[in-house]
Amino acid sequence: MSEFNQNNRLKFYCDNDRCIDCNGCAVACDEAHELPIGVRRRRVITLNEGVIGKEVSTSIACMHCEDAPCSLVCPVDCFVIRPDGIVLHDKEVCIGCGYCLYACPFGAPQFPREGVFGAKGSMDKCTMCAGGVNIQTNSEHEFEEYGQNRIAEGKVPVCAAMCSTKALLVGESDIIEQIYLDRVSARGYGVKNIKESPTWKIAYYTKDRV
Amino acid sequence: MRVILAFIACVMSAFALHLPDGTNQYDSNVWAAGRVENIKGYEGGMGEIFTFIQGNNYFAYGVVAIILAVIGAFILHFLIIGPKHFSHDGKKVYAFDIVERISHGIAALSWVILVPTGIIMMWGSSFGGGAFVNFMQDLHVIATVFFTISVFPMIFYWTIRMLPAVYDIRWMFIVGGYLSKKKRPVPAGKFNAGQKAWYWVAIPGGLVMIATGAAMYFLDFKAVPVADWLGISQIEVLRWSVIIHNILGIVCAVFFLVHIYMAAIAIHGAIWSMVNGYKEEEEVYVLHHYWYQELVSKNKIPVSDYEKVYDKLK
Repeated sequence: MSEFNQNNRLKFYCDNDRCIDCNGCAVACDEAHELPIGVRRRRVITLNEGVIGKEVSTSIACMHCEDAPCSLVCPVDCFVIRPDGIVLHDKEVCIGCGYCLYACPFGAPQFPREGVFGAKGSMDKCTMCAGGVNIQTNSEHEFEEYGQNRIAEGKVPVCAAMCSTKALLVGESDIIEQIYLDRVSARGYGVKNIKESPTWKIAYYTKDRV
Repeated sequence: MRVILAFIACVMSAFALHLPDGTNQYDSNVWAAGRVENIKGYEGGMGEIFTFIQGNNYFAYGVVAIILAVIGAFILHFLIIGPKHFSHDGKKVYAFDIVERISHGIAALSWVILVPTGIIMMWGSSFGGGAFVNFMQDLHVIATVFFTISVFPMIFYWTIRMLPAVYDIRWMFIVGGYLSKKKRPVPAGKFNAGQKAWYWVAIPGGLVMIATGAAMYFLDFKAVPVADWLGISQIEVLRWSVIIHNILGIVCAVFFLVHIYMAAIAIHGAIWSMVNGYKEEEEVYVLHHYWYQELVSKNKIPVSDYEKVYDKLK
């Protein structure tokens, strides 16, 4: 594994000019990780639906924020931010309180209903296909709890792998940035500096961060 | 017996019908259109405020600091002024009937569970999270159900007497006479200003705690259009809920401690009035003087011998 720093943390980026609202990423994720029916880790949302020239679709999951507000507020500290920037959490420690959901600006954390009283179970969210923490990599137990661990196998997360228009990019941030810049210069429009786009770096702006 | 078994089987199958029971995400208030709302509230909004407060552990440290301060104040009070003793040999005044005592008892038991489990959840990481804290959370939820049942009789029985009166201000100025060793009648009705304050924290506050707690428990509720009433998104309802629940929870925990100290320690034996329903005559005369006068004027109790011992308040 190469050395990770701020320039090559693993990131998702959805190129809104290419996203065609096919929901392929969401379905691929559901299927690959065999998610329960009430859980959808990745979702395509459409803003300004029907407004000509303004309609835009984008794919949203856990954005693996650098400052991950979920990990700041967790009362049982179940979150782990890996050196490569992937935000993981330990379902054994998680108590399903929902604080991460209240802090997350993307609504990424999900809570399957389980138990006799239909209580919220342990939180479930996108792992960037990197499985879990404190669990044997690629074990059956890991698959049951967190889904596939494709990162450990050297594969791209399944959503980005199957994205038909390659709108959804994932990988080391400097490479993503370069791919996106090439696209912008080729088509002549777009966000020039994706580091300024809200989903790139942080969930909340620096001045407001804890 | 067969009827009972059949009933149990029906209940079990009712649960079975409901499992697994995921919310269809296209109908979800939180994760469907609401997910867009979350991102709209990106700069500013409750998410940030909650992250700031909770991220700095203000709730967790706050509750410990305040509770330690209150316990410290009790210890000082106990050492300097000491508990008040009233004669337990004299006549007794019937104060609370069976419904009041049972509902109060259920509320008391549920708070004995609710407050510590709530604090354990705030300090979840110190307890290692996982199964133990999860169990505390379940206890918290179960105790809430009992508390909810107990609230309504107390509202029905006590609200009118809990309305503020002018003499409550005088009670406040002398803090109910608890800062002095002397026993002299204090201006208070059946409930003194301190009890009234506790009532208005515990009952309306308790209802708010139940409502905000229920919001956090049910999370993605569609049937109750709270978000529509308030004109905010579902996730903002949840964020408001968690902040209100935590702050009010700290206030409730503090008042709860004060209430226990008063009943069990500061006034010797006062707790028995909520067990057998009777208050000591001297205690009623001194601590609930206007109620004493009311009872005498209504001929419910005879004129007390304590009128010779203590002054009579006007």
